[in-house]
Amino acid sequence: MPAIARTVSASAQADAQVAGWTKDYAPLPGIPDEFIGPDGARREPWTALLRRLAMSPPETVAERFAAADRRVRNRGMSYRVHGETSERVWPIGRLPLLISTEEWRQIETGVAQRAELIERVLADVYGEGKLIAEGALPAAALTGSPDFIAAMRGVKPPGGRWLRLYAADIGRGPDGRWWVLGDRTQAPSGSGYALENRLVVSQAFPDIYREMNVERVAPFFRDLRAGMKGSGDRAEPRICILTPGPYSETYFEHAYLARYLGFLLVEGDDLVVGEGRRAYVRTIAGLKRADVIWRQVDSEWIDPTELNSASRLGVPGLIDAIRSSGVVVENLPGSGFIESRAMLAFLPRLAQRLIGEPLKMPNIATWWCGQSGARERVLENLDQISIASAFGDGARGLDKRRVALGAELGEAERAALKGAIAERGLDYVGQEVVRLSTMPRWENGKLVPRPFVLRVYAAATPDGWKVMPGGFARVSDKPDARAVSMGQGVESVDVWVLGDKPVVTSSLLPSRERPHIARLLGNLPSRAADNLFWFGRYLERTEATLRVVRCLSARAVDPEAPATGARGAFDGLKALLVAWGAIEAEAKAPRPADSKPALEPKTARPAEAALRAVENRGSALSLANSASHAASVIRERLTHQTWTLIGRLKSALAELPEGPLSDAQILDCIDEQLNSIAALAGLFDENFNRGAGWRFYELGRRIERGINTCRIARQFAHQKATEHDLDVTLDLIDSQITYHSRTLIGVALGPVRDLTLLDPYNPRSVAFQTERIAEHIAALPVLRQDGIPEEPLRLATRLSAELTSEIAYELEDAGILAIENQIAQLAEAIGRRYFLHGASARAEKVMGLG
Amino acid sequence: MIYDVTHITRYEYAAPVVVNDCVLRLRPREEPGQVVSRYKVEVRPTPSDFVEHADAFANRVARLRIETPHRQMSITSSFRVEVARAAPPIAALTPPWEATAALAAASESLDPDSPALALYPSRRVALFSAATAYARESFAPKRPVYEAAAELSKRVHADFTYDSAATEVSTTPAEAFAARRGVCQDFAHVMISGLRGLGLPALYVSGYIRTFPPPGKPRLVGADASHAWVAVWCGPSFGWLGLDPTNAIPEGDDHIVLARGRDYGDVPPVDGVVLSYGGHDMEVSVDVAPVEAKA
Repeated sequence: MPAIARTVSASAQADAQVAGWTKDYAPLPGIPDEFIGPDGARREPWTALLRRLAMSPPETVAERFAAADRRVRNRGMSYRVHGETSERVWPIGRLPLLISTEEWRQIETGVAQRAELIERVLADVYGEGKLIAEGALPAAALTGSPDFIAAMRGVKPPGGRWLRLYAADIGRGPDGRWWVLGDRTQAPSGSGYALENRLVVSQAFPDIYREMNVERVAPFFRDLRAGMKGSGDRAEPRICILTPGPYSETYFEHAYLARYLGFLLVEGDDLVVGEGRRAYVRTIAGLKRADVIWRQVDSEWIDPTELNSASRLGVPGLIDAIRSSGVVVENLPGSGFIESRAMLAFLPRLAQRLIGEPLKMPNIATWWCGQSGARERVLENLDQISIASAFGDGARGLDKRRVALGAELGEAERAALKGAIAERGLDYVGQEVVRLSTMPRWENGKLVPRPFVLRVYAAATPDGWKVMPGGFARVSDKPDARAVSMGQGVESVDVWVLGDKPVVTSSLLPSRERPHIARLLGNLPSRAADNLFWFGRYLERTEATLRVVRCLSARAVDPEAPATGARGAFDGLKALLVAWGAIEAEAKAPRPADSKPALEPKTARPAEAALRAVENRGSALSLANSASHAASVIRERLTHQTWTLIGRLKSALAELPEGPLSDAQILDCIDEQLNSIAALAGLFDENFNRGAGWRFYELGRRIERGINTCRIARQFAHQKATEHDLDVTLDLIDSQITYHSRTLIGVALGPVRDLTLLDPYNPRSVAFQTERIAEHIAALPVLRQDGIPEEPLRLATRLSAELTSEIAYELEDAGILAIENQIAQLAEAIGRRYFLHGASARAEKVMGLG
Repeated sequence: MIYDVTHITRYEYAAPVVVNDCVLRLRPREEPGQVVSRYKVEVRPTPSDFVEHADAFANRVARLRIETPHRQMSITSSFRVEVARAAPPIAALTPPWEATAALAAASESLDPDSPALALYPSRRVALFSAATAYARESFAPKRPVYEAAAELSKRVHADFTYDSAATEVSTTPAEAFAARRGVCQDFAHVMISGLRGLGLPALYVSGYIRTFPPPGKPRLVGADASHAWVAVWCGPSFGWLGLDPTNAIPEGDDHIVLARGRDYGDVPPVDGVVLSYGGHDMEVSVDVAPVEAKA
């Protein structure tokens, strides 16, 4: 029976493999572990997972891990560390955290109960105020938090509730129970990363994922969406995610959730409070109601006219709109004060009072030192407890540290901290020291026990609180459990709730319903239009610059080029690069009389600068960066492939080898970049829905190409152009082949001008651009109801007609400039009509002082 | 005392402003000791929206929006106010400062006059040990709170130099403290930081003060300015009491109170956000004219 023998030996091999991974694995002294129980026995689901992994050949495992990493990079999963300008790739741990269904049910009820308790605390604090007035909650335990918003007192919650999404950070204590370490009520982050972790891990190990009956997380998001949808007062409410923008730590997640849930991603500038004290989105079709806003901006910054007036992230008048029930905001501003540690001291007692039962899942015992009894207790027992700031990250005597362990303090530190607590106890809490459990983390081919924190999410839905089966777990790379926030060395891992029955598959939409069919995404927000337009312009300008540099370098290496004639074309190319800001103008140093008017000796230098000098705003690298920035602001509208190509374009230019480049290197690089741009153009053509968004991208490209082509014609196809100049023109507009297949007598001004400016069949000509521009604008929504064409359409139609009726031989040089100016005016008109505040207006702070 | 007050603010914008969201805190607080009449505010261009409401500290705040493109804006507020405040308390009768701090920490109110709203660092007033240590010198154990706070106010007046060139509106209390220089805003911020550092509730008061022309000279119209001082909470019976560290005097009949907040950031008389793409110039003139008894 050879088949069985083989199985046995494979199984034995797997056992050996698992033994290899785990032979040094031992729980840390005095600390519970998920994999190995207190009795020293390995727990079942973990052994099962490891055996399944070991059953696959080692190469396959490595390959799958590598594939997961690739997927993370390609999907552009990233986060930002506060204060850093670049994004980091999201680190996904190899092994998921495993939790049995039975245990999960306890977590689930505990979290749902706590969410309900907090909802009632918020309703009382901002409503009736009995908890404060009757002494159950000291006012000063709230007011230390910047997220206690006094202006919200007396506000009736427009959606009927304060909390839509709640999260609890939990960990397992030595007694085997799960403990709440902290509450997240402002704008709990991580749910989108949890979803993304799930996609990546389940795609890397589809068979193991299926065999282990992992509960699905998608239904949770369906419930969350249903909850938000139900809180608006229209049947099909417009739901917006309000993000602080691409510089926020979790922008990737905002963009990701917007796309996954079909919500509109907006920044403060996109919204306006207008008629009827309602919130509106600025779109290219005018103001459209924003029914529900999922807030990712901290309360303090949400409304510069009522809260922090220095804020540029918020919406003037938003608090007033909430007060008048003109918009639903979730979670409501002011809900964040629950997150402060001081509140942990009171929630257990409030549970009894507000919901008539004790907490099902305890939180770590906490004493707020603003109360004299608690303060004395903390000072007396300093050795057994830890001290943390009650509201923020720091307080006097804690220095940069978040938490001080009483027992670990030196004498002087201890005295200073005691003095500070005695003087301003308000700022401190004492907390019981809990040793949290560890889980296996994959490190260099074996497993090590590492501490973790699990974030569990609950959403308020029409059917009560729903808890996501799974969550967002962060695993430290150090044995010390004290700093498990998303910094250097911390990984996030998927969380598997294991059932004993096969899981019924569910996607975001139940299959039997007949959902409304929509072909377009609705009205395009002005900011998205603006960024798509500029993405198109920057991309086109990058291409034009690359073509000029290529022409410059190619001519430098061409030994056939007659020195005298080439000279003018050469200077022309450089003049163009100077005009576009790709290189700096050269100081006009008088030439020594004996120097030869030979080919430029320093050819490579302007070409190099034009490619990669980041200090020149018009260099190919700067332009690619600008294109990438514009794209990053509309990331939820771009496919992963697009994003990957943009990244490649940018990095290829940024990572050019140091030191002087050879002409061949320059030419190679340019060709590669032109290919990337062509691929991007192809993606937009083939994959982008023909909605208004695509038209704005197209408008950007066409306008930029129109302007650049006029500029090229003025430089090289003017009345006195030489043969070389005309040849350069054909190179730059990529029309050598077209020209020579049509005109047999060699280069001449009339035909070159026609092909460059007027020929509507040549996709590189100005006339071709203006025709397309007129078509795109005609297809955009109009605001006027009297049938009079809007300004952009009037200008575009006139310009297109002018080019149609022009004849190449009658065109003056000044006429080319006039066309270029008209295109630039058209761009301005497009900005005024469709974008946020016209071409370049931005919000500014004005503060009167007396 | 009766005063006629006129406060004019003019803005000149470098580029047209498309939307102007403006916040005004120009109407005096309604509180014992000052009675306001004939309050009027005029804004040019005419706002499309104008609402007034009470904020978390019961200040009267107006919010307005101008949606017609404009390059200038002017705001003129004027009112008559009769000020007759109760004399400051006998300092020795106010409670020991530690007791006041404990009562504030245990406050059972979030209402506008609650001391709980004034205990913590705020956007523009951080707590720092130098200011706390400086304040501590006046707060010997069990000393009556008002006595100690009044002494602190006098020490600030004595130790700091009034110098309008030394600081800006964005200067932090720590910077002003290190330089021992500044204007009314800086003195108020430093004193608030010191008081809060000891756990005592302190607020920033914005308003006007009557100025006296040099002997023999006529009063100049429009040469006055906004002023700022401090209110410290002295327990439930005495409540909030004003102290002016710039002039080393208690809040009295020469002071007109506009608004109270955690720091300057809560109470600028004119504040807001505009959509534009240029800078702006601003010009302010304040006139506090004493009215003869016959009026």
